Order: sequence, then C-alpha cells, then structure tokens
Amino acid sequence: MIDVDLTGLPLPADAPEAGACVELERPEAGLVILRLVPPHRSLAVLDLPLMRDLAVAIDELSREEGLKGLVITGREPGSFAAGADIDGIERVTDEETVGRTVRLGQAVFEGLHALSTRRKGRVRTIAAVGGPVPGGAFELSLSCSYIVAADLPSTKIGLPETQLGILPAWGGCTRLPRRVGVPASLAGILAGKLLPAKAAYKKGWIDRVTPAERLIEVASSLAMGRLKAKRRARGFVGAWLVDRNPIAASILERGAIKQVEARAKGHYPAPIEAAKVVAWSCLRSRAKSLEAEAVAASKLAVGSVCKSLVGVFQLMEAAKKLSKGPDGEAPAPLERGAVLGAGVMGGAIASLMAEKGVETRLFDIAPEGIDAAVILHRKELAKKKKRRRLERHAHDAAVDRLTSSTELIGFDRVELVVEAVAEVLEVKHDVLGKLAERCAADTILATNTSSLSVDDIAAPLPNPERVVGMHFFNPVRKMPLVEIVRGSKTSDEVVRETAALALRMGKTPVVVKDVAGFLVNRLLGPYLDEAIRLYTAGVSPERLDRLAEQFGMPMGPIRLLDEVGLDIAGHAALSLHAAYGDRMAPCTAIRPLLEAGHLGKKTGSGFYEHSGGKSAATAPQLNPKLSALAPQTSTEGAELADSVIVDHLTFAMLAEGLRALGEGVTQTPDELDLATVFGMGFAPFRGGLLRWADTLGASEVQRRLESLRASKLVQARGAGAARFDTPELLEQYAAEGRKFRP
Amino acid sequence: MAGPLSHAPDRSIVIAAGLRAPQAKAGGQYAKETSPHLGAAVARELLLRTGVDPSEIDAVICGCVGQPFDAANVGRVIALRAGIGRDVPAHTTARNCASGMQAVTEAITQISAGVADLHLCVGVEVMSSYPLIMGEKLTQMFASIFQSKTLGGRLAAIAKFRPSFLAPVVAITEGLTDPTCDYIMGKTAEQIARDFGISRAESDEYACQSHVRARDARERGRFDRELMPHMPLGAREGARSLTADDGIRDQQTVEALAKMRPYFEKPDGIVTIGNSCGITDGATALLICTEEKAEELGLTPLARVLSYSWAGCDPRRMGLGPVFASAAALKEADCRLSDVGVVELNEAFASQVLACERAFSSKEFAKEHLGVGRAVGTLDLDRTNKNGGAIAIGHPVGATGARLLLTAAHELEESDEELALATLCIGGGQGGAVVLERMST
Repeated sequence: MIDVDLTGLPLPADAPEAGACVELERPEAGLVILRLVPPHRSLAVLDLPLMRDLAVAIDELSREEGLKGLVITGREPGSFAAGADIDGIERVTDEETVGRTVRLGQAVFEGLHALSTRRKGRVRTIAAVGGPVPGGAFELSLSCSYIVAADLPSTKIGLPETQLGILPAWGGCTRLPRRVGVPASLAGILAGKLLPAKAAYKKGWIDRVTPAERLIEVASSLAMGRLKAKRRARGFVGAWLVDRNPIAASILERGAIKQVEARAKGHYPAPIEAAKVVAWSCLRSRAKSLEAEAVAASKLAVGSVCKSLVGVFQLMEAAKKLSKGPDGEAPAPLERGAVLGAGVMGGAIASLMAEKGVETRLFDIAPEGIDAAVILHRKELAKKKKRRRLERHAHDAAVDRLTSSTELIGFDRVELVVEAVAEVLEVKHDVLGKLAERCAADTILATNTSSLSVDDIAAPLPNPERVVGMHFFNPVRKMPLVEIVRGSKTSDEVVRETAALALRMGKTPVVVKDVAGFLVNRLLGPYLDEAIRLYTAGVSPERLDRLAEQFGMPMGPIRLLDEVGLDIAGHAALSLHAAYGDRMAPCTAIRPLLEAGHLGKKTGSGFYEHSGGKSAATAPQLNPKLSALAPQTSTEGAELADSVIVDHLTFAMLAEGLRALGEGVTQTPDELDLATVFGMGFAPFRGGLLRWADTLGASEVQRRLESLRASKLVQARGAGAARFDTPELLEQYAAEGRKFRP
Repeated sequence: MAGPLSHAPDRSIVIAAGLRAPQAKAGGQYAKETSPHLGAAVARELLLRTGVDPSEIDAVICGCVGQPFDAANVGRVIALRAGIGRDVPAHTTARNCASGMQAVTEAITQISAGVADLHLCVGVEVMSSYPLIMGEKLTQMFASIFQSKTLGGRLAAIAKFRPSFLAPVVAITEGLTDPTCDYIMGKTAEQIARDFGISRAESDEYACQSHVRARDARERGRFDRELMPHMPLGAREGARSLTADDGIRDQQTVEALAKMRPYFEKPDGIVTIGNSCGITDGATALLICTEEKAEELGLTPLARVLSYSWAGCDPRRMGLGPVFASAAALKEADCRLSDVGVVELNEAFASQVLACERAFSSKEFAKEHLGVGRAVGTLDLDRTNKNGGAIAIGHPVGATGARLLLTAAHELEESDEELALATLCIGGGQGGAVVLERMST
C-alpha cells in the first residue's frame, strides 16, 4: 500500500472528489492507459488531489492479475503535466508539511517504479509525454521503465527546480544520475534548462521521440512488447568508475559547487544543495538518496530565497497574460512591422522583430546605419544557426524578413511601427506624422522614447489612441524587460497588441503610466546619483560596486554607469530633475569627467578603464585620471559602515519606488516588483523591491529613511536630500502595518 | 499606335513595375550570394515598394539557368522566401541566356489566354555559386567503392586513385559551351565576326563606348529608378551595401582594350575578355499584368507589350538570334525597325552586336535566312543600348532578359520615344525579342 495520508495537508480550494483526476482505459487485454485528467486544471499539475488519485490507481494496478503494460499519459499528446504545484510551494511555511508532501510524492513514484522492477508480475511502464514536461512531470516519467515523447515544438523536458530555489525531490536527483550518469545529471539539474524533445533524446533523458499522432500507438506497442523497449545502458566505466566512485563523487561535487558559487555569490543555496545530493546519489541506496532529497527540499522550500524566486516566476507568468483581452484571447500575431531609426537600439529592435517572424522594414535617412544594422542582424542569426538554435530554413527566412529603406517607401501595409529616432520631439513628430499619412489609420505607433512623454508625442498625430510607448533597454537582445507606456489616450487593444509583440520577442512586458523616466529609469536615477554622491563623499567606486553586488544587484552602480555611458545617464538625470525637482537633483561633481570624454565603456574609460579586453571586466582598474578630473571632496565616506552605504543606495531607490506605487505608475505592486527584477536586475532572490521592503516592514523602512534624511552626509548636501523624505504612502502603510505586496 | 498581340486581341498587357539588384562581377561582391536570397530580396522589395499585396499574385515565374543544387525549382524557393503565400504557385523556366525574358513571355501568354491577371516574373543568376564538379574518373572511383561489398574490393578501388582525378570540371565553362557543336560562346562570336568582317578595332571601340555610356548613365542617376541597394550575403562588419553595377570601368580606353589578348581563338581572334560581357550575378523582378489590373492596384505601368517572338538559328552563329526574333516580333507588332526609338540588344560580345547590325541591314541576309526580299532595317546604334550594356554592367544569364525589358521600358520615357525593342541572342542558336509601347498613347 502506498501511504497517502492527506490529513492536515493544504488541498487546493477547488479540489475535485477522489478518483476524478486519473482515468484508466483498457484498450486490450493486459494493457492499461492511465491518463492525467484533473477536472480542476486545464494542464495537469501534480498537486495533492492528483497524487492521491495516482497513488490509489497504482495501488490497484499493482494487484491486478494479468497486467502486462501500463502507459501513463496526459489529455493530449502535447499536454502531459506541468510539474509540481508551484502555488502550493509558495503557500507552505513549515518544514514538516513540505517534508510530508515530498515523501508522499516519492512514495507514489516508488510504487510506480516497483511495478516495472518487482520480481513477480513485472509490468512494462511507459511514460508517453509531450508539451512541457518540467520537474515533477519529468520525475514521474523517470519512474517509468521507458519514456517516449511526442515530437512537437512545444515539447520541453527537464528539471528546472533549482531555478525556483528548490531541488528535484521526487526522485529527480536520484533517478536521472542512474539513467545518464552523475556528471551529465549535475550539468542538467544545476542549469535547470528545459530541452526540446530531440535534444533530450540525444542526452539520454528520454528513450524515444515519435510523431504526436502516433504517441499512444507507439507507447501501447512498447508496453505490450510488440516494440522493443531497450534503454541505452550507462557503460561499465561510467557507472562504476565515475558514478559509484567516491573519489570521483567528491571531485564532481566540489567542482560543481565552485562553479555555482562563482555565479551565485552565495545568494542561491538550491544548486549547492542539489549538487551535494546528485554527486553522491549513485553511491547511496535509492531509499537513502531519496531521503537526502527530501531533507534538502524541506529546508529549501521554506526558505526566503525559494519563496522569492517562486514569486518572481508567478509574476512572469502573470505578465504573459497582458496580451490577452477580456475574452481571454490574445490578438492575432502581427505580420508586418517597421522600425524607424537604425541606431543601436532601432537596429537591434528590428533585428529581433524580424527574427521572431515579423516582416520588418527598417527606415533611416542614413544608409550607413541601415547597413550596420543589416550586417549585425545577419551576424546574430549566423551565431544562432551555428549554435543550432535556428535551423537553416528558419535562419534564411529571418535574414529575408528584414528589409530597409532610406525613404518612407514600402511602409503602407505595416501594422505596427516602433519609432527609435533621435530623442527630439520635433523629429519624432515629423517622422511619425509622415508615416501616419502612408499607413492605415489603426497602424500602431509605438515609441521607444526614454525621455519624452508619450502624450506629447501623440498630441499632433491622427488617432492618438494608437500611440503607445514601447521602451526597450540597451542592449536590446539581452535586457529582458519592455515597459509598455500607456498614454492618456492609448487604447486597451493597442496596449495588448504591443504587449503581445514584446512577449513574442521574448521579453517580459510591464505596463506603466506616462510619467518622466517611466518606472525603471525613474528608480535608477536616484540610485545612480546616490552612488555618485557617495563617491564624491569619499567612498571608493570598488567598494560601492562590491556592496551593491553583495546586496544582490547584478552589477554595481558605478560599473552600471560606465556601461550605460555617463552622457546617457547624465541626460536621463537632467530630465528626471526637470520633472521631479530637487529630489532628483544630479550631482555635478563628475561633469569634468564627461567633458574630458571619459563617457564609460564606449570610450574606453569612465570611472574605470575598459581597454583591457575581457579580463578587465572581472577585475576593473580605476581610471587613473578620475582623481584629477572628479576628485573626492571628502574622506567622510570611507568611515561609513557598509550597511549605511547599502541603505543610501537601496533606500534612494525604494523611496522613489514607493512614490511611484502611490501614483499608480504600475497598476499593481506586483508589476512594480517585476519591473525592478527584470529592468534593473534587482536581486531576484529578494523577490523584487517591494517584497524586499516587506521583509523589513513599513515602519522599519520609515525609520531608516528618517535616519538617512537626518544623517550629516545628507543634511550637508545642497540638493538631492529630499529623495529621503518619507513618501506619503509610507506613513500610511507604517501606521496601518500594511504590506506593500500583500 | 495600337499594335495587336495576336494571342490576346482584347487584353492589354503591361509591365506594371520592375526593380533590379545591382549586378556584380562573379566571385566578387556577391561571392557568397545565393540565387534564392538575391532573387527573394528583389522580389520582396518590388512588392513593398509597389504596395502590392502578395496574395494578388496569380503565379510566380522565375528564369534561371544554373539552378542551385540545394534549391530545386528555385522560383518556388524565391517566392516563398519573398513572403509570397504558399497558395501562389511558382515555377522555374530556362531558355539559357534568355531565361528572364522567357519568364515574362510565359506570363504574357498565360495572361493573354485569360488564365491569370498578375504575374511576378523574376530573372536571377548567381554565377558565383556555380560549382566545381568532380571529374568522371573520381566519380567512377567513388561508385566502385560504394558498390563493392568486400573490404578488398574497396581497397582495390581506392588503389586506382591518381592525383589527376582531383582536377575538377568547371560547371561554368561547360555551361558556356554548346554541346551540339562544341563551340564555346566566345567562339560563336569569332565565327560571326569573320562572317561579317568585323574588326578588332571596331569591337574594342564598341566595348569602350558601352563602358562610357554606362558610366554616364550611372553618374546622371539613370539607374536609380530601376536599382535597389543590396547588402550581399557574407558582407563583413563595416561593409556598405552595393548601390551600383560594379562592372563599369570608369577609365576604360580603347588603347587599354587593344592591349588585351584574344581569349577564345589564339593568336589571331578578335574576341577578348575586354570586348565581351563579364561573368556576372544579378536579379531583376517585374510585375506583368493586364492594364485593368494595374489600375486596380494603383500602379502606373511602365510600358505595354505589343508582341514577342522566339526564333531559332545556327548554333555556331547564335549571336545573330536577335535579327531573326526581332524581324518576327516587329512584323507581329506591325511596325518597322526604323519606327523603334529605343533598342536594348544584349551585348554578349561587341562583335556579336556589330554583326547583328550588319545582318539587320543586309538584303542578302534577309533573303537567305528570312525569306524576304527586303532588309529588316537599319539598327541605329545611337538609339541602341543608350545606357551601355552587358559589356559594362554584365550578363547574369538568367536575369538579363528581364533586365533588358526593365531598362527598355524606362527608356521610353527617358528618351521620349513611343516604341522599344528588347532582344537578345541565346546560346544554342536562338533569339528572343519583345516589342513595347509607351503607355501615354
């Protein structure tokens, strides 16, 4: 009997009655097809009701006389199961509950495993999967004797748990190493990537790939022995000299941990715990290894990192719905788009659009810009073809889809245009006005402006409801966020269409109000300026960067300034100052650095030297001219405690974030957090700016802000002190003890 | 002048629009180009510039001589890569050097038969991508290796290998040689030069004039209306897109041409690389439709098609093909050569153009070969190839036929003339000709 005691475990509110989640079909004697069909989910999730029903079914099948083969599959070949219940993970808070849930799942899968390995009445168990097969869904498959996957583009298989701050604990860390060996499992589990069917087959994660239409037929034949279900065995050398060799295990474990730590800087415990379990799994009995999984998972799942990462994951999933209308339907995919302006941003936007299937026409009056953009487009695509991310035909089609013109000819049938010309209102009016004369009245006019208002741009254009901001970040291909800026007249449909395009381009969209700096730049402004002020007050750039990175920013503020360019950052700061007044007043002390042409990475030097190639990026040297051009005016900063410096940086950002929240710049606090994580890389393990503030509590936030405001350093500065004023909203939250992200 | 197109007495068929890529010497700027990419780029750009919805197209016809091995029916590949819907059929047609014109006359025939209203015609040739082929002996060696079932047999087959097996067959040389008479094209030009007593000096002078005319045309922007800029595949960082034909030699002199050695018949021939067209890559796209369809699409047509003709002649004297074809096409259009103000006669070789000129005005030639008592007419060289020709801007074999039509159609307005003749000679002994009429009449 499989022990499935659910008493005290949190069942979902809409849990169906017992037995409803699985369906057994007996198409011929000796064969059972078990389908995962939970009525409360469109895509099966391995939640408690389903696990309960699965356990009962396996229990019954294990006693059934004459059973030869069992096929486990989903509703459709392209819809197996989505893995464990993510919402459930987010809700649990005590180790015991996690431990019970994990062990329950393990027991169910052990029961399934036993069917195909027991001495008497062995049953061929075939997992017939397709579509997404992540985490728990793959672990369920691994417990079968054979895995066959549908050859669909949507098929993606893997163990992504470490990305969510946990580890595969339903046998993934135990069964995958036994299947493909420890080194390959370490790589797969620590990276947490999902693989397409063919790639998963090549790595031995699954045993067969077959057309979706034949999935059930092939799986049935395998189950009944009509087709031979032979698995590739791990060779003797691999199995005994590597997987079961204690010396190899300890080397592999240390190597993996070292690699993880270099990347995670100590903030992410899950991959390390996973490495410890996986490295030794083949040296332990299956039971012991499973127990190690359970112990590690219980500890990780209740930790704050896991909660934060799951939270970010849920925010991302929510953002995917931005393109959907009230009827739940996303707009038809865009066929023809255009980009105006072939600068670095425009060229990259056009390239990405074309790559993702939009016929894209690029306009610029300067043929040099177009030529450079076309060459870069082809270079990016060639890289992807070489890495087999793009098949030859897809590569060729993507090359073909980007066309260009130095005149506004050939834009008549465009459905959406992204304007990325110079940041001058008249220039934008001119080019968008001319374009509007040529294309349809409902062609969406999106602007990639970062410093102008969408309403101002829309004002003279016909049909202003189709004007929207689509703010990409530089470099376009790398930065995952797009701010969709809703002007006062922008229609809902236009917002949805634009969000759909952002999603198609692989970006996470966040809808923001048309305020100066929108959201991300508005928050970055005081943070970066605070870093400059701390530098002039005597804190070394290296220390600033180190502390910010320790806090969890992907890159310190001074390095970020160099990366963005001091001129660009300065320009942004000025427009923020003009819009928000004193609290955004930029520090003028580094102006001589700009005037001498030290603009950052693009000129070879800014705060740091950037001439030394890649190695310089890991150990940057200060620009030797820095102290002469922009001298530190005090040594006071050197005396400051680390925590005070971090507070200066983070609370400058947080206070502005709270003001933006109060103004409703994003519709929900969740979206604000999403923008901070994806737009500025705000420590994902902290779950976002507001979530981090919630860990402190509103009154503690208020107390620290007040203490910063009263500090000598802030009092002494002429301008910019107001950024530490207590935002109205904060007082209210502190008084009521409310959370920013309930 | 309303000439009848006897196939379609009631349908007025027009060249509605056209566009071409700059033509580049093979192995140079387009060394890494492919016919599908180049052809699709031109076709797509033409559709974008005209604003024609691709779903309006009834069929795509593509002229191409050397289809790439990895793109069988290259016309279909081009159509799909140009963004034209899957439901629009496409085929590839070949009539050697006139393949691009063949595509257009097929369209004319189909439209005149009433089975279609709008065709996209593409002429394309990327001679840069012509392969080197394994020789016969090497091929046989591989065949016996694969056929033998024993290791010994395979080793025996391999043992027969000789380094000389590695000498490749050059596809382009083979392609330019007529297998029915073993004359390489240059040799046919030598043949008719002898027949008509064309001198080396005349040829060089004609060739030089082609470069001068092409240069002047380029300088005054004459090609702007038919050319699109093209960024070749394989362009490196910092490269600029090609905006003009790169075969035009700005400083060409007769003296320099005189120094070149005969290439095909040494030592006393008169045809040199300098007074022949170059091996070139290029693509041209044209929209061919009824006049009503053009109006419906909001297009202002470039020219109306009055007639066309294909004719055969002696393969050894293939260069005279234009005389045969033009005589027939003019007759069908019910006009005389002297009525024609614009002539585009492909410059395969300088001596070949000059031989055609003699043949056109020769009573004996007309009597012997055309069975009429009167010469076809005088070919006015001042009104022929006014913007230079293939000697300067090259002859991408599959594309030229369409390119001549595009240039001739534009030239009607440029030169303020009423009638144009586009004609060319065809390896294997044929000629093709199309008579066009200016739209304003």
